[in-house]
Amino acid sequence: MVPCLDMAGPVLEASVDDKRGVSFAAGAGFLRISELVGGFALLFWRIVVRIVPPRFDARELKVNLYKMGVKSLPIVAVTALFTGAIMVIQAAPLITRYQAHGLIGWGAGFGTLREIGPLLTALMISGRVGANNAAELGTMVVTEQIDAMRTMAIDPVNYLIAPRFIAVVITLFISTLVADALALFGAAYSCGPLLGIEPRVFYNGLTAGLLNFGDVAHGLIKSVFFGAMIGLSSCYFGTNVSGGAPGVGRAVNATVVVSAASIFVLDYFISFLAA
Amino acid sequence: MSAHTEDQEQEAPTRDGERGFVQELGFLVLDGLQQARDLYSVFVRTMYFSVYGKSEKGAVLDQIYLQGNQSVFFLTVFMGFFGMILVFQAGVQALRIIPDLTLLGATFLQLLIRDLAASIGALMLATRVGAGIAAEIGSMVVTEQVDALRMCAADPIEYLVVPRFKGGIIATTAVIIWSALVAWTSGMLTAWSFFGVLPRTFANTSMVGVGDLVVGLTKCLAYGAAIPIVSAQSGLSTFGGSEGVGWATTRAVVNSSLAVIMLNFFISAAGLALFP
Repeated sequence: MVPCLDMAGPVLEASVDDKRGVSFAAGAGFLRISELVGGFALLFWRIVVRIVPPRFDARELKVNLYKMGVKSLPIVAVTALFTGAIMVIQAAPLITRYQAHGLIGWGAGFGTLREIGPLLTALMISGRVGANNAAELGTMVVTEQIDAMRTMAIDPVNYLIAPRFIAVVITLFISTLVADALALFGAAYSCGPLLGIEPRVFYNGLTAGLLNFGDVAHGLIKSVFFGAMIGLSSCYFGTNVSGGAPGVGRAVNATVVVSAASIFVLDYFISFLAA
Repeated sequence: MSAHTEDQEQEAPTRDGERGFVQELGFLVLDGLQQARDLYSVFVRTMYFSVYGKSEKGAVLDQIYLQGNQSVFFLTVFMGFFGMILVFQAGVQALRIIPDLTLLGATFLQLLIRDLAASIGALMLATRVGAGIAAEIGSMVVTEQVDALRMCAADPIEYLVVPRFKGGIIATTAVIIWSALVAWTSGMLTAWSFFGVLPRTFANTSMVGVGDLVVGLTKCLAYGAAIPIVSAQSGLSTFGGSEGVGWATTRAVVNSSLAVIMLNFFISAAGLALFP
């Protein structure tokens, strides 16, 4: 379906220990990255073609939304609550130094909404959903279920890949919203025990006008791109598995590494473009 | 036991309807307790064997190479980007309030040493190293190599987990110190090129105290110890073929990321209490 790559090597790592020297490793790394980019683009195009006049399996989308979204909620909630508290702890030395208690809401708020909320949610979802997705698709490839589908004239992209891609994007978008809210909640109520600041002061700082909808939207736009990258990389590596159980493990590893990598790189570019 | 619960979780969409809310809650609690007990047992045995166990020659060095050297490229790229993002966002936000960025570098360095270098670096390591360890050990469990080890009277914890644990602590600390340097340098360049903050002004260590260094290094050590143990536990509890390996890897990444975030919370809170 998608041009098959040499999945054996660890992705995105210059393997200089190769006996053939640094220039060989650099060239091989470059080729591997360009293959990845090409494979992702092809897969993305195949998914877009199935979405624009919608031809994907709607039932499968619902199942995946449940499996990815609803089932990830506990992790997202725990991560978000702790993240909020951590943001307060990190802002604490500055806030106490300048006695600017009113600014804690703003300080924790802008960090959470613009960067840490979307970023940590994406990393957690990439770990849970992306890895799981790759493992599931990889197992299907290894046990030849995808070939069986093609034999029965069922398009695997329609039935398996497009619904998963859409489900990841929607899941991450909604999870980020939930995580933003919960992180701010966690931050507001950890202010009391940690710094002796009342939640009301926190909420005042949050809504004093220094933060606006643009900050929330900034994080949400990021989450859509992150979701697309997680969906693409997990489907790509999942469908390109070769070599049994260790192959599935390698695919999951590659998925997690590449999604985390692309999340950071995209984060950088979106931060600049949307600033 | 663990096999049974995992099996149910995989078939969640069909079986969930039959479980009521309370049942689901109890199931989650029991599963969590089981996991915690497993983790505790792996942790205690690892500690025991790292003191009293035999060590295979070169195994720890191998693990340092695998977890440390092989992650250097990965972490260099991401921490470089991360430093740029952070300084850029902080600069833009700070300009909304005070048009003075002289303390940007000092604040950034303190934040980096106290928290972000260790935590973000460890989250990235948790995905890369954690997934790798779980996939490796999981494949060994599935292909019955771990049972073979037990047959040869070699404890899998002593033989597989202890080198990863020792190597992990050293490699994580070293790699995180390196990545803090990278993030700081890229942040400095960003501040120079976007906000015109001279490197001499940016390189201001006045806000970094002993407390920050202690908290940062404690985090490095804690994450370095937690990631291999959590992932090894996921790997060792693998069952059921290639799908099981996938599940183990997923669980390793999620649990070790959660471990990093929770440890971060507790160490940061302790740091705040000890070094205000």
